[in-house]
Amino acid sequence: MQPIVLGVIAGSIYALIALGITLVYKASRVLNFAQAEVGTLTLYATWWVTQRQHQSWWVGAIASIAAAIAIGLVFERLVIRRMLTAPRVTVAVATIGLFSLMIAVELALFAGTIYILPPPISHGGVSIAGVYVNANQWLALGVVAVVAAALAAFLRYTDFGLAVLASADDPVAAQLMGAPRGRISAFTWATAGALSAIAVLLIEPTVGVLAPGAFNGLFLGGLTAALVGGLSSLPGAFVGGLVVGIAEAEVKAHLVIQSIPSFQVTAMLIIVLLVLLLRPQGLLGSRS
Amino acid sequence: MLTAAALFIALPLATEHAMPKLLEQHHYLNLDVGIAIAIAAVSLNLLLGYAGQISLGHAALLAAGAFASGIVTSRWHGSMVLGLLFAVVTTAALSLIVGLPALRLRGLYLAIVTLEFGLVMQYSVLRSTVFSGGSAGIALPRRVWGNRFFTDNAVYLVISLLLLLVVWFLDVNVVRTRIGRAFRTIRENESVAQAFGIPVTRYKLLAFVLSGAMAGLAGAMYGHAIGFVNNESPFNFNQSLQLIIIVVVAGLGHRLAAILAGLVYWVFPSFISGLHQWAYIIGALALMDVVSRHPEGLAGVWERRRRPKPADDDDDDGELPALPQLPAPVRAVQAESLPPGSPLLEVDGVSVRFGGLQAVDGVQLTVPTGTIVGLIGPNGAGKSTLFNAISGLVRTESGRIRFRGREIQGLRCDQRARLGIARSFQQVGLAKDLSIRDNFLLAQHQLAGYSDGEALLMLPRASRDEETFRTRADKAIAALGFDELANMPVRNLSGGQQRIVEIACLLVTAPDLVMLDEPSAGMAPAAAENLAARLRDLRDVLGRTVLLIEHNVPLVLDTCDYVYVLDAGRLIAEGEPHEIASNPQVIDAYFGAAVPA
Repeated sequence: MQPIVLGVIAGSIYALIALGITLVYKASRVLNFAQAEVGTLTLYATWWVTQRQHQSWWVGAIASIAAAIAIGLVFERLVIRRMLTAPRVTVAVATIGLFSLMIAVELALFAGTIYILPPPISHGGVSIAGVYVNANQWLALGVVAVVAAALAAFLRYTDFGLAVLASADDPVAAQLMGAPRGRISAFTWATAGALSAIAVLLIEPTVGVLAPGAFNGLFLGGLTAALVGGLSSLPGAFVGGLVVGIAEAEVKAHLVIQSIPSFQVTAMLIIVLLVLLLRPQGLLGSRS
Repeated sequence: MLTAAALFIALPLATEHAMPKLLEQHHYLNLDVGIAIAIAAVSLNLLLGYAGQISLGHAALLAAGAFASGIVTSRWHGSMVLGLLFAVVTTAALSLIVGLPALRLRGLYLAIVTLEFGLVMQYSVLRSTVFSGGSAGIALPRRVWGNRFFTDNAVYLVISLLLLLVVWFLDVNVVRTRIGRAFRTIRENESVAQAFGIPVTRYKLLAFVLSGAMAGLAGAMYGHAIGFVNNESPFNFNQSLQLIIIVVVAGLGHRLAAILAGLVYWVFPSFISGLHQWAYIIGALALMDVVSRHPEGLAGVWERRRRPKPADDDDDDGELPALPQLPAPVRAVQAESLPPGSPLLEVDGVSVRFGGLQAVDGVQLTVPTGTIVGLIGPNGAGKSTLFNAISGLVRTESGRIRFRGREIQGLRCDQRARLGIARSFQQVGLAKDLSIRDNFLLAQHQLAGYSDGEALLMLPRASRDEETFRTRADKAIAALGFDELANMPVRNLSGGQQRIVEIACLLVTAPDLVMLDEPSAGMAPAAAENLAARLRDLRDVLGRTVLLIEHNVPLVLDTCDYVYVLDAGRLIAEGEPHEIASNPQVIDAYFGAAVPA
């Protein structure tokens, strides 16, 4: 039972990354390779606010989210908006550039020192199905549920949200109907930034330390989840996150192979290859 | 090519004899590693620059090459030559296995799979003592044979430069044969590539396997330069990213720029230590700047400065050159021509569905040999979808398509093209970044009698065929009167010029059936008028059979022998042009309700 509970918790955080990847992919047909790294860099803002300015974790969290949104907006304005007609491969390379920049800044400013961030809630926890789930894990589950529900409601029930979805389906038609293309693009990249920051904030207590590339596993899980979900289905991204989280936890618990360290990474590759071979449109995606 | 060869032979000789006092052993070592990195850059340039596929796991291929050669030279006591060969074979095989699931599909799946493959190598395989020998690692001795070794880094530099020359030679052959043209067309538009008879999945795989083999060689050379590799060797995700930065910033598709950038990237910071950290930030910023503002990279910017672009004179005077009577080439399978009037193409109850939309609904039509058959209908009637179904770009839900009596609905698009079905595209189906001449060479892809292996080594058959292709292309270009434009990218031509080049390209292979999708789209009115005569030439002078989609109804009525009318995916009328012109149902479909007389 324990792997399933832990898998659901990790998987729901993967789902946030997968939602960000899927949202950007739907809106601009681009794979955002910086989806987890933006939040990794801005987590240092949380560290600075909580450890140097002695503010609460929550203030620090808001600082990180705000910084990530700002990075998303600047990147959209300076890079993405110039590349509306560029081949999608080139735009994907641009996001690789963003990823590299995040890593490079982390290495230049923060390499060599160990940064530790106290968890948002220091004690408390409730057992579920005989598995102890601590307060931070409950917090993660709650935040993911609220964020996903809020995003879904926003996209489904507001005019702007509907314009975002319509624009993802058919950008030209949506533009002709008056959907503001520039604002929609800015919205998707800002949201991707916020989702990145939130996901990293939530998974940090289980990793326990800030370091350049410490959350590569988060991106790997999120990317695999997005692919399992079909790359263009938001509910699919969510289901994909849970599937990947549980699969990874089961592998960690039962499939420890002494001679192959980090076998769960290999498991992710196997999942990706199976999906591509058997169901390339993903679990909830439709064949186009 | 000759200058490059001279350069590569002169350089090691110069370093060998003139400068032995100038460079210390560790400087040679830096150059040795730099050349390995440069070959890795060439390998990624082939994949990303030519074929437009991203690999985020190139470091893993370098690692596989290094360890493969290490196993041969230190565990099996084989010579370094065998080690390098084994490295190349191993990484080529790995690339095939990793690439196959991803490259069957369109999109950026290779990026995802190679990313995960790279992380598996980094976290699982290299850290496992079984494969990498853990932190003790595995030695890569420079064994000549038996117990003879060479240790001088300067000698190794000569060998490295010779290997770089070999890679250069292979890469040049890729570019100047059908392999490179197929890669570049795939990068630009997979549908166009298929319509020219290029098996897209095979060539994408070939690109990744070639790239992987070169990366394996580079990895092995890196290993032999350093002398050993272990689980701390920098075969990680960051190295894969750095390779992408090198290749994109240098200029995608520019071999020499990639080599220089690889060398500079490695050698320069090693001479001036301490720059690496900031170089990485600058590299990341440069990557974003280049892709968003100068997608052609530093090499492209430099090239443009040197050769100012000729001023665009946009005088599309509408005078189309006559479609040339091209020398009909010998097709691989010489099909005897059918008697005029016998059915060449039969479409029998074909339906196509996109999700909930029935785009084509049980269409029945026949194209007799030696005729021009028109297909008209309002926007969204399903004309282009039917074209895509006939040429194989979309899958049919039901129905049969027979070409020369043979059922073809199960064949891929490129297979149908090789049977003799040529088609144009509404948006002009050419590789628009390539020159007119290259497009004529591209159009002859299916005529090549050489294998891709012969092309890589430029064996006699390949160079002979390429010579024939060039002659044929030059003849066609001369007949069009485009000699002065021959090296201009198709993108820079006027709409009418692009269209005429497209049709002439289709004719190079002497296809039995020529399918034209709105040839008058994007043409000046005067040119469109001229088009009618050219279409009749296709039938009367060149002896082709034509299936024509057109919005320009007078043009259709003027040129076609028989016309089908499509509305909302169904055939609503068919007949000779004069019958169609007066058919009330057709008028209704085009103009809404028929105007009562």
